[in-house]
Amino acid sequence: MNLSDSKKKLALAGVVCGLVAACLAYFGNPANMAFCIACFIRDTAGAFGMHQAEVVQYARPEIIGLVLGAFIISVATKEYRSTAGSSPMIRFILGMVIMIGALVFLGCPLRMVIRMSAGDLNAWVALIGFVLGVATGVLALKKGFSLGRAYVTNKESGYVLPAIVVGILILSLATSLLKESQTGPGSMHAPVIIALVGGLIFGAFAQKSRMCFAGSIRDVILMKNFDLFSVIAGLFVVMLIFNIATGRFVLGFNTPGIIAHSDHLWNILGMYVVGFAAVLAGGCPLRQLILAGQGSSDAAVTVAGMFVGAALCHNLGLAASGTALNPETKELVAGAVPLNGKVACVICIVVCFIIAFTNKRKETK
Amino acid sequence: MRKKELKLVVTFHTTADAMAMEKACKEQQVPGRIIPVPRMISAGCGLAWCADLEDREQIAAMMKETGIEEEAMHECMV
Repeated sequence: MNLSDSKKKLALAGVVCGLVAACLAYFGNPANMAFCIACFIRDTAGAFGMHQAEVVQYARPEIIGLVLGAFIISVATKEYRSTAGSSPMIRFILGMVIMIGALVFLGCPLRMVIRMSAGDLNAWVALIGFVLGVATGVLALKKGFSLGRAYVTNKESGYVLPAIVVGILILSLATSLLKESQTGPGSMHAPVIIALVGGLIFGAFAQKSRMCFAGSIRDVILMKNFDLFSVIAGLFVVMLIFNIATGRFVLGFNTPGIIAHSDHLWNILGMYVVGFAAVLAGGCPLRQLILAGQGSSDAAVTVAGMFVGAALCHNLGLAASGTALNPETKELVAGAVPLNGKVACVICIVVCFIIAFTNKRKETK
Repeated sequence: MRKKELKLVVTFHTTADAMAMEKACKEQQVPGRIIPVPRMISAGCGLAWCADLEDREQIAAMMKETGIEEEAMHECMV
């Protein structure tokens, strides 16, 4: 059965992915961080000691599952294609930029939608920035932006990232080499097997449906096409029902304990960066993992950029803090974006504009 | 829901080529429209040009003239 030939079936793929996210939240992932690519890559980078933020260090099996799920399903359905050669270092930079923007907002587009479904109004504010970012990327596309074509390459090149994530899984299960948070978000996680299987299912459905948060908005702006949007809508509806049914739906801005802040301008600008850079890189953080799983070495380089970006965010003090209750005084401590993060976010916007309007399609005429 | 028909679908190496195609087609009044690449053709998330089968020669000639290179030309239900 073809799972992707109608909007209804695509929405169904979104529903399945939503159910996976809901299960992971139920079994222990942090509140409304059920499934966040940026957070989980950041946690995995922390597990390897790439940064020293002790509360966010854990090799998330979801990331491993996503890459392997996309890899296995693409090989099984003959969609695996090893490609490379489309401006890899620019993609590396875009990966870093995406991660910096995501950690200024505190979440990737997937988590933004999950936060929206939990009533977090900050995420709805950030959506404005995300849409504007994607729209700016679309404008660049219309002006002839291109990172050049990718070429078919040795199939082994595409095996590298799936092999690396298998290595991470072995290290996390069989050794005590990797760091693991004892407190904070990194210590909150679903059991390994559930997280891994959840990632595999999510990865497989995301690969078949071509799920992409940036792509969905891009297609709506560019072609009034709602195919990809229907996948996201399916995921949103499931998470909304789950959050309401389990009492996790809290409408408001300064909600403590959900790892979010109410710095509106920087929520908007953080997601503006993510939306803009994601269109330039050809997909949101989730899509980059899926593309890498189905053989794109260019996307794998973007993923590597995201790992380095995540480490930089914590090593240089760029990442925002979430609103929380002071455990002793019970006072609300507002989350905020540090000055370094604001400067980095502005630099990222400038970098996006430079990349967008200097890389042009070459006329072959 | 709109009934699916057998159409000519031109795919490209880059999104920029697809955008250039749209621009050139509009300027030269060549028929067709831009669509997301149908999922049965490619696992990418790029754009493709969709037109009627009988417009194939006109489209191919225009692409040759303007230097827009296709990745492939498919006939599929869209």
